[in-house]
Formats: sequence, C-alpha cells, structure tokens
Amino acid sequence: MDRDSAIPTESFEEILAWLDADRDVAAAMYVQLRHNLAQTFIWRQCSDPEGMTDEVFDRVARKVHEVRPTYEGDPRRYFHAVARNLIKENLKKIKTQVSLEDVDLAEQQIPEAEQETVDIEECLQFCLQEMSSDKRELILGYYAKEKQAKIDNRRELAQRLEISIETLRVRAYRSTVSLKQCIERCLKRKDQQR
Amino acid sequence: MKDETVSDALLREFLLGNVNEEERQRIEDLFLTDSQMRERILVVEQELIEEYLEGTLTTADREKFLLRYAQTAEQRQKLRITKSIKDWAMKEASLSQTVRASVSTRSLRARLLKPAFIVPIAVAAVILLVVAAVWLTRRTEERRRHLAIEQELAQLNAPSSQALGPVAIELSPVAVRSVGAASQLNTQTEKGIVELRLLWMQKERYPTFQAEIRRHSDNQLFTVPNLQPEVDGKAIRLKLPAHILMRGSYRIDLSGISSNGSISQPEEYNFVVNG
Repeated sequence: MDRDSAIPTESFEEILAWLDADRDVAAAMYVQLRHNLAQTFIWRQCSDPEGMTDEVFDRVARKVHEVRPTYEGDPRRYFHAVARNLIKENLKKIKTQVSLEDVDLAEQQIPEAEQETVDIEECLQFCLQEMSSDKRELILGYYAKEKQAKIDNRRELAQRLEISIETLRVRAYRSTVSLKQCIERCLKRKDQQR
Repeated sequence: MKDETVSDALLREFLLGNVNEEERQRIEDLFLTDSQMRERILVVEQELIEEYLEGTLTTADREKFLLRYAQTAEQRQKLRITKSIKDWAMKEASLSQTVRASVSTRSLRARLLKPAFIVPIAVAAVILLVVAAVWLTRRTEERRRHLAIEQELAQLNAPSSQALGPVAIELSPVAVRSVGAASQLNTQTEKGIVELRLLWMQKERYPTFQAEIRRHSDNQLFTVPNLQPEVDGKAIRLKLPAHILMRGSYRIDLSGISSNGSISQPEEYNFVVNG
C-alpha cells in the first residue's frame, strides 16, 4: 500500500500520549498495537498487512488532534475502527474470500524449499543452544507426542510441573514464540550473508 | 465485554473464519485491547497449527486453514519452523525413550552379571537345593518308615496271626472310663509286642474294626485295618510292636466296620507309655 507521508513528529508524540501517560509504556503499546493490527489484517486475508497497518497509523495521525479530546475509552479501539474502514474501502485490493472452487486445496502442500529446510534446521539447533534449559525441556516435553497421546502427555507434564493445563499452554506458547523469533532472526542473518 | 464469554472453541472458529462479522469484530477488539485475551487467541492459534501439521484437521478446516496460514512465503516459512520444532521434540523424546529403555535393560543385565550379585544368588540356590534334597530324603524316609510300620501292624493284627498272648493293658473308652489318670504302659517289661485289649461298649456288633493310633507328641497316625473282635464282640485285641511305642501319650480311635462297609462312630481310648 502506498503511503503519502511519514507520521509528523508532533502527531506521533500525541499518539503516544493518547496511548499512555508514561512514554515508555506508550512506546511499548505502540509497537504492540502495530504488530496486533498487522495480525488482524492477516486473519482477514489482506494481501499487504504491513502496508495497511502503516496506513491506519497515518490516518490516525492526521485525526488525532481532533479525536483525542472527545474520544472516550481505549484509544486502541479507535485504531481498530479505522482499520475496519480501511478494509471496507480497499475491498477490491484485499485478497479476500478466495473461492474454494478456484483452488484445489486438497492437493495443496507447503512446498519444500531445500535450502530453507537446511537453514531452519541449523537455526533451530543454534537457538536451542541459546535457550535456557528450562525452556528447552518444556518445549521438548510439550511437543513430545502428537494426536491423542499429546493430551495425556501434556496432562502428565502439567502434573509434573505442578501447574494447570492452562498455565502449561501459555508457558509453552511463550517459549515456542521465543524460539521461533530466534529462528526467524537467524534465518534473516543467513539471508543477509548470501 | 468479558473474555469469559469467549471459549477456545469460538476462538478456533474465529481463526478459521467461521464467525460472523459482529463476533469477528468483538474478538479482534479483545485481541487489540486485552493482553491476556491476545495471548489466549495466540495459544489457540498455535494449537490449530499443530493440528494442521499432525493432519488431524477436517478437509473443510484444512482448506480454510491453508487460505489463512499458507498463502504467503512468510506464512509458509512460519509453518515450516513450527514443523521443525515439533519434529525435533518428537525425535528427541523418542530417542531418549529408546536410550532409557536400552540403558535400563543393559544396566539390569550388567548388575545381575556382576560377581557381587551372581555369587550370593548361586550360593542361595545351592543351599536351597541342599535343603530341598535333605527335606525330600527325610520325608521319603519317614514315609517309608511309616508304611513299614503300618505293614507290620497289619501283619501283627491279621486274622491269621490271631494267637492271643498276654494282655499288657485293658482300655475302656474315654466316654465310660472314670475320671482319673490315663492307663500307664511300660514297654520295657514287654518283649517285642504289646497287646492291648480295647473294650467295646457300644451295643452294635461289627465283624471287623479299624483302629487309628495317634501319638500326641508328633501327631503321627497309624491305621490298623481289619481287626477282629473277640467272640462275644465286646473287646478287640490290638497288637503293637514295642519299638514304635516311645515315651508319651497315645490315643486310639476304634471304629466298627459293618458288612456293608459303613463305619461306626469311633470310640476313643487313651494311654501313656512310660518308657
């Protein structure tokens, strides 16, 4: 998505102030909000989630002086409303509702990229070494089984760790995200080196 | 809007695009404003990805999943990363399980093969064998002796050897004997055979009798069949080899055997051997 301009500094500052009185907290919220908006665009099958996120922030920056004084509630809901309007406006540009008849999805597989597979494997081993042993053991235990055996395995793991299944799910999610992010950074480094 | 109203099942439907626009907006709103809810949605998403990789999604869900999670190169890379993590964990778990099982078996075998284990086990086995052999020998010997005594008793008391000798002691059944000390028998004064006269106080007469002699000290029991009553049927002679009568108290149960083979109620007799 083409953008007209970068966000003016004063608008950027006002957005931060609107998000939270503490500038550091506001900055963290800003980054998280960008990430989350991009995710919602992905869920809505938008073809350019990052570009659309930029556009949302541009639009809010242009309106923040007017909206902020009278807006009640969580400002992130305003960003969400702007995002929804953008989706409607760009309906034609957004890759939505791909007809299932058009694609033989039953035959669709994730294509294997040989070099990428090797890279992922190397990065995985590297990142596992970088992780704390607790997290590594948690991931190992959590994904040790699949299908029906997975359920029993995770129940036993939760009992062993003396935590609830819900807590185990969240802990495993966080550790997995951390591992995935490390792998993604590692893959980017490898790409840059080529 | 509380996240309690949002179940994991609903989140799964949301992620697969199976909810209406209103519900979608509600969940997106929670995703943007509620950090705990955001994490919950991402946990459910991770589990959905797992289901896809394990091949447990229905065909319809799989198609919807691919439209949302495998359209761009970046998305496909993310799926491959997740797959590599799962594959690694399963491989490691399987490997460690195999190693544990192998180590456990080898360790047990190695421990059992160590002299510290083998020697005591072998010694115990030998001792057990010796004890069993001794016990078996003794038991066989006892049985043999027992049978020999019963044979001797049968021969002594056979009708063909009914020559009556001197009666060493006459015994009345316990039921009619006056209360007092049991009859005493001194075998040292006897020569080889001790002859007892057992009084039969019941009205019924029987052609033959059977006596069971029990020594209280070791509870040994000798059965003497086919005893003949005296002519009037009021007493039965019982000959005992002196060598089987050791010091101690004895009990005799005497039963009448009718011509049809039925056995009467026994009469009990007691005596004591002094030596």
